[in-house]
Amino acid sequence: MLQSLWLESLPKLPPDPSNAVADNPAAAEFGRQLFFDARLSANGDVSCATCHQQELRFTDGLQKAQATGTTARHTPSIVGTAYSPWQFWDGRRDSQWSQALGPLEDTNEHATSRAQVVNLITDDPEYRATYESLFGALPDWSDSDSVMLNTAFANIGKSIAAFERTVLPTKSRFDEYVQAIVDHDADRQRQLFSDDEVRGLRLFIGKANCMQCHNGPLFTNHEFHNTGVISFPGDVPDTARVAGVREVMANEFNCRGLYSDDVELRCAELDFARTGVELIGAFKTPSLRNLENTEPFMHKGQIGTIADVLNHYNEAPDAMIGHNEAKPLGLDKRELGQIEAFLKTLAAPVFVETS
Amino acid sequence: MIVHRIAGICLYFCLTVLFVQQHASAHGGVVEEGDLCVMKVNYLRAHFKIYQPRVAGHEQYCEDIPVASESVFVMEYQHDSLSDMSVDFRIIRDVTGKGRFARIEDIDGISDLESATVFYRPPAVEPDVYMINYEFIEEGDFIGVVSAKHPETGKVYAAVFPFEVGFTGLGYWPFFIGLLVLIQLQYLLMSGRLKRWFGNKTVTTASAIVCLLMFAPKSFADDLIVTYTTPDGDLAINKMHGWILHIETSAGLEIEGAIVDVEGGMPEHDHGLPTKPRVTEELGGGDYKLDGMRFHMSGYWEVVVSITTDSGISIITIPLQL
Repeated sequence: MLQSLWLESLPKLPPDPSNAVADNPAAAEFGRQLFFDARLSANGDVSCATCHQQELRFTDGLQKAQATGTTARHTPSIVGTAYSPWQFWDGRRDSQWSQALGPLEDTNEHATSRAQVVNLITDDPEYRATYESLFGALPDWSDSDSVMLNTAFANIGKSIAAFERTVLPTKSRFDEYVQAIVDHDADRQRQLFSDDEVRGLRLFIGKANCMQCHNGPLFTNHEFHNTGVISFPGDVPDTARVAGVREVMANEFNCRGLYSDDVELRCAELDFARTGVELIGAFKTPSLRNLENTEPFMHKGQIGTIADVLNHYNEAPDAMIGHNEAKPLGLDKRELGQIEAFLKTLAAPVFVETS
Repeated sequence: MIVHRIAGICLYFCLTVLFVQQHASAHGGVVEEGDLCVMKVNYLRAHFKIYQPRVAGHEQYCEDIPVASESVFVMEYQHDSLSDMSVDFRIIRDVTGKGRFARIEDIDGISDLESATVFYRPPAVEPDVYMINYEFIEEGDFIGVVSAKHPETGKVYAAVFPFEVGFTGLGYWPFFIGLLVLIQLQYLLMSGRLKRWFGNKTVTTASAIVCLLMFAPKSFADDLIVTYTTPDGDLAINKMHGWILHIETSAGLEIEGAIVDVEGGMPEHDHGLPTKPRVTEELGGGDYKLDGMRFHMSGYWEVVVSITTDSGISIITIPLQL
């Protein structure tokens, strides 16, 4: 069971046939430059990295993100998201590249338009040369709804996705501990994990039921669950996946859309996606790797500390909308502290070049 | 004796339901049905609840709320039609003088509705769940008015529910009196007095008929056996994969040309599969190709296979421990 959580068990990156440049290093480098470029915003101050700050594990430390405005939800990390079939808290996009396009046009995030984004690439000689070497000549477009404009806009998302695909988790103390178990090295195990951390791990995989959702080497099943988190002050409860699945089905940049590079349109996730009231208030399970410096937690940052998140799951209160899938755990304070100690062994910061 | 007792219990529940329904129509909008608080907008029903998340966390209220604070009103539809309807939501100070007995006619009679209104959400179609958030700044008596407009007929259905902010209790005495009457009726039934008054057979037969109507089982076809194989390898979580279902009768006759539907879930967590699998091909010889299966949690799962043939429907549950 422990090996199922081990980073060594992480399979190779799943291919993204909808993005022809997904594994192209030149596209990834172009995407990296775009990720840190604040010119991709209405006020010239907001880049992807404004909210996805690598020193905060690609989050921003705020309840709701602050960019050109205040966003609807909390900034999720981007580490390892190439493994997820669904993007955003509600899975309203089905690829990293279509995800990357969303914030660019959101009035509270980059507040720009696809025309402005494509113009920026066109007007910057270096960007233009890189773009044209990857995708061919930039289109001559005049109508803002044209397929040519959308194709260029999608290509920019595909470049950002090629970069984001390279942002992957690194080995944590927990992974070294599993290595020591595999090696039957008891001394090394004792050096690596305290008694509390070992007990916390046992609770994590056992009595606390954490692994029912936080499973696999990324500690997430990439699926959607209603865990009865309280509403954000001033907001109505968030309907989440039930609306997200409708949005991804209708999105022009989805796997079945005109801008997918997969001529065979292999879109099993969309073909078999579940819909319906069961998904009311269900949010995507986040990874538990690298929790430190990522407070606050939950989809609107409603809970400030790991300890309070654990208290929430221990109590499992009724959900305000839909129903809470979790059941009360009956853990005592010491046990909750041990789980927290274990979770901190998953820290392994990820850094990328910024210039 | 046991039959009489079961029949008695059954009648008791039926009477409870009848009573509560009458109570609802007399009340005009929101009513408690057992543990559930229900809003009735004419024939349309929704699970109704109010939260005060800043002061009372996850505590639910049905009508009256304890303090003037941020209040979230939630309607979870029990009737699909509501998800297509344009619904508006108004909260007014109680200027009718009718208190808990205010009805839609009293609201229509208010000359200046706007000045009595403290909150109004214009008509909107909410496909999943209808919610509003209003922060009360003072305690007092209020009336909620919910209107739903039918998308085709244009008919407007309304629900009116008077409520108190700063509720001190004493709101449900008529309900409790009704409950006492029911308990007494049940006692009479169980003790046999009702039988003595109306005749043994009449009571037992009436109760048994009601019971049968309530719990009549669906008809099922002959015993079918469903087995499955997983051509993509052993079952693993978080991986989309296919199954081959094999369906035959207990006598070994392969079932062909059936309509096969598959659902599934984790009963302990009250949720279904993360995907919506379906049979994509009939392979012959009683084999059916099932695609789009994925399990996303370890634990106990049930996969429910519904098989429709000319002779009826069979529902077979496959238990799985992952």
